[in-house]
Amino acid sequence: MENAVIHIQNANIFIKHNKVLEDVDLTINKGEFVYLIGKTGTGKSSFLRTLYADLPLKDGEASVAGFQLNGLKIKNIPMLRRKLGIVFQDFKLLTDRNVHENLAFVMKSTGWKDKAEMEKRINAVLERVGLPNKGYKMPFELSGGEQQRVAIARALVNDPELILADEPTGNLDPETSEEIMKLMLEISKNGKAILMATHDYDLMQKFPARKLKCEGGKIHDLQLVNS
Amino acid sequence: MALTEGKVEKSRLRASYLTTIISISLVLFVLGLEGLLLLHAKQLSDFVKENIGFSVYIKDDAKEVDIAQVRKLLDAEAFVKSTEYITKEEAGKMMQEDLGEDFISFLGYNPLLPSIDVKINAAYAHPDSLKYISENLSHNPIVHEVDYQENLVAVVNSNLKKIGVIILVFGGLLLVISIVLINNTIRLAIFSKRFLIKTMQLVGAKHSFITAPFVMKGITNGIVSAFIALLMLTGVLYYAQQEMPDLMKFRQPELYGALLLMVVSLGILISWFSTHIAVRKYLKLSSEDLY
Repeated sequence: MENAVIHIQNANIFIKHNKVLEDVDLTINKGEFVYLIGKTGTGKSSFLRTLYADLPLKDGEASVAGFQLNGLKIKNIPMLRRKLGIVFQDFKLLTDRNVHENLAFVMKSTGWKDKAEMEKRINAVLERVGLPNKGYKMPFELSGGEQQRVAIARALVNDPELILADEPTGNLDPETSEEIMKLMLEISKNGKAILMATHDYDLMQKFPARKLKCEGGKIHDLQLVNS
Repeated sequence: MALTEGKVEKSRLRASYLTTIISISLVLFVLGLEGLLLLHAKQLSDFVKENIGFSVYIKDDAKEVDIAQVRKLLDAEAFVKSTEYITKEEAGKMMQEDLGEDFISFLGYNPLLPSIDVKINAAYAHPDSLKYISENLSHNPIVHEVDYQENLVAVVNSNLKKIGVIILVFGGLLLVISIVLINNTIRLAIFSKRFLIKTMQLVGAKHSFITAPFVMKGITNGIVSAFIALLMLTGVLYYAQQEMPDLMKFRQPELYGALLLMVVSLGILISWFSTHIAVRKYLKLSSEDLY
């Protein structure tokens, strides 16, 4: 329990009034890399959205990065999200500003003040995702793979305990996907928990890890099934 | 290539601000014009009323001294704005010019009476007051008759009242329309950024942190719009005063100042509140409801 970044008991996941998943019970520990798989429409995205409080948790109990999701107050949602790094399938970069300002926005909004420190951190994460010297580019000037790396850099900027990635390789070619995958694995080796929704079975074969499968309104822990 | 695309995107951003600013400044300008109309309505109606007056016809055998006496008495009255004495000869000459015929030689004598033309103060330009004044004057032994167009006074008064009400109603309506229009313009501008706002929320920014830059931009847009509207209003005033120097008579700098101040504060306040409300709305909507 002490090691758990995500701990969920008897949770039901709803979109508005439609139940998408029921009886969700699972724990993800620090430094763990976990795949979230399942056909489209089986509730993967809804599950992730519940974890970052974009959907309210109505039934059951869940704690994510030290925040209790049931009964989470609106004013505490930003605090929860600061502990998470979220990578979206459609990148969700701020299209009206360049890469550097995209990262700076997240930092400023989460309380960074020291400009020199911010500069150092931005350069470090851009370096890490393989995009040094691209800070001045506007998002639309970058390729899909580069935008996805910026999204990952943004997720890393606050050194979160947990990274939630919703099909981060969904829009990318196999080569770039593999690079992104290696990057994610490297991040998890440094002690971050990563929960990654994906359809890419080639990748899962190449980089085996624990799998959670959404099917028939439930989440099955394939690790437990296999063991 | 990418650089040109960047320029296009940036100029598109600028253009969207520009349309907002132009829309707001035009609405403020029309509102300011209506304000100017309201300011001048009272003065214009006074101007019209003070051109209403009556003529006091003096008996033919009255002495100049007595006439001067009556005129002096009239000048001292509160209801009188100005008087003008027209002698028998001047009246004859004016009549002759009007007719284009030498009617005095034709008749062999001048049938006209000398008169005092009285222009009255706006406050007394009412049929009842005029009747009272004329009755009083008729008792004077040298006065032959007091002539005024009772009908005209009543018509002018009722028309001015109607016009005043119309201008006031129209002004109120315009105020409501301006607020709605500016609010809509801003809401549209914010609507186009709703996904950005949602993304900001998803990366952990607090509501206040997201709202502040939008509101600042809104206030800046409000100030710029108000400034443009002021320039246009000043232009209109200047042009009007060049074309109609009579308007200069009505100049009241402090009222103009108050009006312009109102236009500026309205521009800023509406932009401020509309932006704030619009951004908050999208912060509260769930992701599904954004589409």
